[in-house]
Amino acid sequence: MATNVLICDDSSFARKQMKRALPEGWDVEVHFAGDGVEGVEAIRAGKGEVVFLDLTMPNLDGYGVLEAIRREDLPAMVIVVSGDIQPDAQERVRKLGAMAFIKKPIDQEKARAVLTEYGILTGA
Amino acid sequence: MKDPNIEFGDIHWLMDILQNIDVGLVVLDRDYRIQLWNGFMESHSGISPQNAKEQVLFDLFDEIPRDWFMQKAEPVFQLKTRTFTIWEQRPYLFKFKNYRPITGRAAIMYQNTSMIPLESIDRSVDHICLIIYDVTDIAVNRNDVISANQSLRELHQYDHLTELYNRPHWEPKFADEFRRSQRNGRASALVLIDVDDFRLVNANYGHQAGDEVLRTLAGALRQTLRQTDHACRFTGETFAVMLVDTDAQQAVHFAERIRKDVETMSIIAPGHELSVTVSIGVAASQPAFDSPAQWQQAASKALNHAKEGGRNRTTLYQHHS
Amino acid sequence: MTDINITEDQRDCYQELSNVAMGQAADRLARLLDAYVVLPIPKVNMIESSELDMAIQDAEKDTAVSAVCQGFIGSGIAGEALLLFKDTSFQDLAALMNYQGPLNRYGELELLMDVSSVLIGACVHGIGEQLEIHFNQGHPVVLGQHCMAEDILRSGNHQWTKTLAIEIHYTLEHVNIDCDLLLLFTEDSVVKLNKVIDYLLD
Repeated sequence: MATNVLICDDSSFARKQMKRALPEGWDVEVHFAGDGVEGVEAIRAGKGEVVFLDLTMPNLDGYGVLEAIRREDLPAMVIVVSGDIQPDAQERVRKLGAMAFIKKPIDQEKARAVLTEYGILTGA
Repeated sequence: MKDPNIEFGDIHWLMDILQNIDVGLVVLDRDYRIQLWNGFMESHSGISPQNAKEQVLFDLFDEIPRDWFMQKAEPVFQLKTRTFTIWEQRPYLFKFKNYRPITGRAAIMYQNTSMIPLESIDRSVDHICLIIYDVTDIAVNRNDVISANQSLRELHQYDHLTELYNRPHWEPKFADEFRRSQRNGRASALVLIDVDDFRLVNANYGHQAGDEVLRTLAGALRQTLRQTDHACRFTGETFAVMLVDTDAQQAVHFAERIRKDVETMSIIAPGHELSVTVSIGVAASQPAFDSPAQWQQAASKALNHAKEGGRNRTTLYQHHS
Repeated sequence: MTDINITEDQRDCYQELSNVAMGQAADRLARLLDAYVVLPIPKVNMIESSELDMAIQDAEKDTAVSAVCQGFIGSGIAGEALLLFKDTSFQDLAALMNYQGPLNRYGELELLMDVSSVLIGACVHGIGEQLEIHFNQGHPVVLGQHCMAEDILRSGNHQWTKTLAIEIHYTLEHVNIDCDLLLLFTEDSVVKLNKVIDYLLD
């Protein structure tokens, strides 16, 4: 069955870039969210088994999304994809339960490496 | 040379260009040892590349402060970022004499410098390159302009010693605020701050110490003020501060904070470390004032009261109607 | 002169490129100062030369600042970066940088140059890297110390009518450090940049 992947970023360009970076041959259904509020809704609706999450977003930022996931105990594996690459930011999101951190700009290689490392991508 | 377009034979040309280009080029390794020293550097320093090679930069040129230089250079090594110094912050890195008896108008060569990271094959930065530009002409011209007219504007606005507004520049702002508060009843306050026994500071420690006291106080004031407040050097050792949207009680609070800050502050003057106190007079705007001058007189009365009361205190002007 | 404009998609793309570049710059600043830099969403706008001051937030205009400007150019695309540094920030900056000297105009200039080297350099490099352009940087120029932000932006007889401006507002967590980085491109650069952007968007 296809994995539900949610790409949550306020930039349509970044969403497009992210989608392009998904490994070829990975059986997924891709959903999009334009800010944190939409993102949390999509995760509640089960569209975010794997979430690629931006940090700097209007309305609700990435940190807020991580908090909501934790608070509501939502089933989502979150990979933060952010331009904010300060060591502090990486530590903060890990503490909030993010599985991995990818530095923007994203590319196929980085995405594949992380997905493989955490066993999300197998055999594809 | 990473560029694949450069043939081996061309390197010979590049070396020639490097030697003859009219900017200084120096390559340093991680221990600040000189690895490359071009013709410009040789000509102006009189040190040949053979003698410069492998020497630590600071050993060869004691005019370059080690700590200062490292503060600029370390980010280049560690963060792979370029850094720059300009003649305005430091006139020169290398003390090279003026070499033009006819057209040169400065005793030394003013310099801008860039420091750029040089990546090795494994992408780490083990070397940096210094590029030295002779900007004497620019600096001399700019200095001319500054002394001729640019600083005029500043001179007209700022007190030279304290870098606060001078009184002529401050008075119209004060008058505006007076009218505004009269018109819409907005609370504002005038605070006069006077250094206690300032004459004694000058007499006992010298005028330089007196200047340092005023400079330090002005600096402390600047840190405490909001953007909307205006401070000036009112008279010799008196500062005036206009606080907008501030009632009498808040103004007294502000004044007390300044007073206590000053009381505990130690002022470093050449050869001395001293402390001073200030007396402060506060006058909140009143509908009864019919001119800015009357408001100033009120604050001045309060200040006198503070002085007579034994100094190092704040007095609020009480209006008796 | 044809009217230069950017579409909503292009604006979004510029914003994202800036976002990544400012993140890289913030990372370097954070390492330099050992502090956390708060990153907002960068503002991308086409502005008229008469409204250069519109490029920064209203709250910033009536503020005493010191300013440094630095040009950059690569592959026929040129612009200038302007760093407006709030004067009230110097004290905390001096503490974070371990600056020992007196905090007068010269001391402030030292600190200003250190911060602007890192912020401007990293930001310009970051944008260039994503566009595959190597930008060369000119020497920084001090535009003024203890001036009103508005006055700095107002002065100057600009040679352009309308251009692309990117504003990034950096603040530091827990300390009082606040600055604005403004990137302005020349008019003809915007035309070229838009082409590069369209290629990325394709």
